[in-house]
Amino acid sequence: MESNTLSLTLCGVALKNPVIAASGTFGFGREYAESIDASRLGGISGKGLTLNGSTGNKGMRVYETPSGMLNSIGLENPGVKHFVETEAAYMRTLGPAVIANLGGHCEEDYLEGARMLNEAEIDILELNISCPNVKAGGMAFGMLPATAADITQKIKAVSRHPVMVKLSPNAPDLVAVARACEGAGADALSLVNTFLGMAIDVKKKRAVFENVYAGLSGPAILPIALRMVHQVAHAVTIPVVGMGGITSAEDALKFLMAGAVAIQVGTMTFANPNAMLDIIDGLAVYCELEKLSNLQEIVGTI
Amino acid sequence: MAIIKSNQEIANGIWRMRVSGAPIGRAGQFYMLRVPGTLDPLLGRPISICEVDAKSGETTFVYQTIGRGTAQFARLLPGQTIEAQGAYGNGFSLKSGHAVIIGGGIGTAPMLQLAKELRASDPARRIDVFLGFREEAYLEKEFKPYADSVTLSIGGYIVNDVDFSLDATYYACGPAPMLRAAATAAESANATLFVSLEKHMACGVGACLGCTCQTTSGRKRVCKDGPVFDYREVQDGI
Repeated sequence: MESNTLSLTLCGVALKNPVIAASGTFGFGREYAESIDASRLGGISGKGLTLNGSTGNKGMRVYETPSGMLNSIGLENPGVKHFVETEAAYMRTLGPAVIANLGGHCEEDYLEGARMLNEAEIDILELNISCPNVKAGGMAFGMLPATAADITQKIKAVSRHPVMVKLSPNAPDLVAVARACEGAGADALSLVNTFLGMAIDVKKKRAVFENVYAGLSGPAILPIALRMVHQVAHAVTIPVVGMGGITSAEDALKFLMAGAVAIQVGTMTFANPNAMLDIIDGLAVYCELEKLSNLQEIVGTI
Repeated sequence: MAIIKSNQEIANGIWRMRVSGAPIGRAGQFYMLRVPGTLDPLLGRPISICEVDAKSGETTFVYQTIGRGTAQFARLLPGQTIEAQGAYGNGFSLKSGHAVIIGGGIGTAPMLQLAKELRASDPARRIDVFLGFREEAYLEKEFKPYADSVTLSIGGYIVNDVDFSLDATYYACGPAPMLRAAATAAESANATLFVSLEKHMACGVGACLGCTCQTTSGRKRVCKDGPVFDYREVQDGI
């Protein structure tokens, strides 16, 4: 059965399989739970939270590109308080591991958000220092090893939950940032967040997005994300959760072979709400064909 | 997975696609349509219901070829399959009494099923239809069986032809400037107006937050909480 061959432990949390819904692509589970059996997922990372919530960015927010999409949502979210009071308990009812994704505009917002999340029954805190769509925040913390380590260490000091730091592929030296987070006590790393991209409306002679730059995701980024996961997974000893353009079980296997113990799927869920369930089925079939007693046997084999 | 029964150009860049096997929806709802098995274009395209034939289980879409996704739809042939995820969105709620329907451009498409449902729900009610197009009219004949009057405007401003002082419910779908004009006219006449909004969206189910708009009661998702809103709720968001 898949529960045996696909199961793993991440940050001390038992996951029935390594397929996790990526933050910002699955809400808090309510929308997709109407149409798919969300209980089959390994985990769900909820929409990125900021301390006081946000209405997000103005103007165009999503824009398709060849085999991908740019987004400039800007972390529209109901705030940590609402999450703690309402969404965390709902997510718990779904069954998969509950991951809260926390972003911030300044250090104090991050720390207060993490303190409030101590009140919630979540499994893992995913520390988002990589959102490219929020000015003076998010990604700013994830660009350099020193700032990334500093916020990681401070969050670790206040949070009672395991901390998985979500890294930005836009960092000039991603491996150095990853090592710094590990050194600061991170329990796991997830990568990659979106790549900073841009679109121009030639007819209107202006940038498509009000923020000019936006985050690129989808199959277009897979080879670069895979390379980064490979580099990071070989540079740290803490678990790495890989993501970036995964659309199929075969894609998921690539990330596992590159060193990720689990994967997240985001953009593909928009295109096909059943994509993650198909991936779980495909991974179970792979284990059977390859006669693996557990899928983790292939992790980091390349 | 739906099967394409027919797919033909009915005006310049305007196509009508009839499919079977899509879950049955109602007026004002939409589907995320997507060509199966390809990652480029990647995302579904939100296309609203133009007509539903509950008896045959067939759904008709009328769409405009704007970008790569809709251009790909136009190349599909009868017998081929298309993913039709839906029906999504709240749809129009059918109010009693006199109905005035205003459609602009491709915004005409969802109004046909609305006219049909309004007529079916009350054969005696009055239904007036106003359709505006930039260059070429389409679908206007299809409204005739359900409407007491059909007023056409080509190259003009269709909202100018509408009397908003009637004891009626007004329904509008079309480009944002048309909806803003309708909202302004409805406000000064204190009329009841429902508008169907269109925004770029990635998921169609309320998860990506690509299509949220400001309303009088906070941010709402056009795909999930809409696309049909009371204009007073979304006047700042149109």
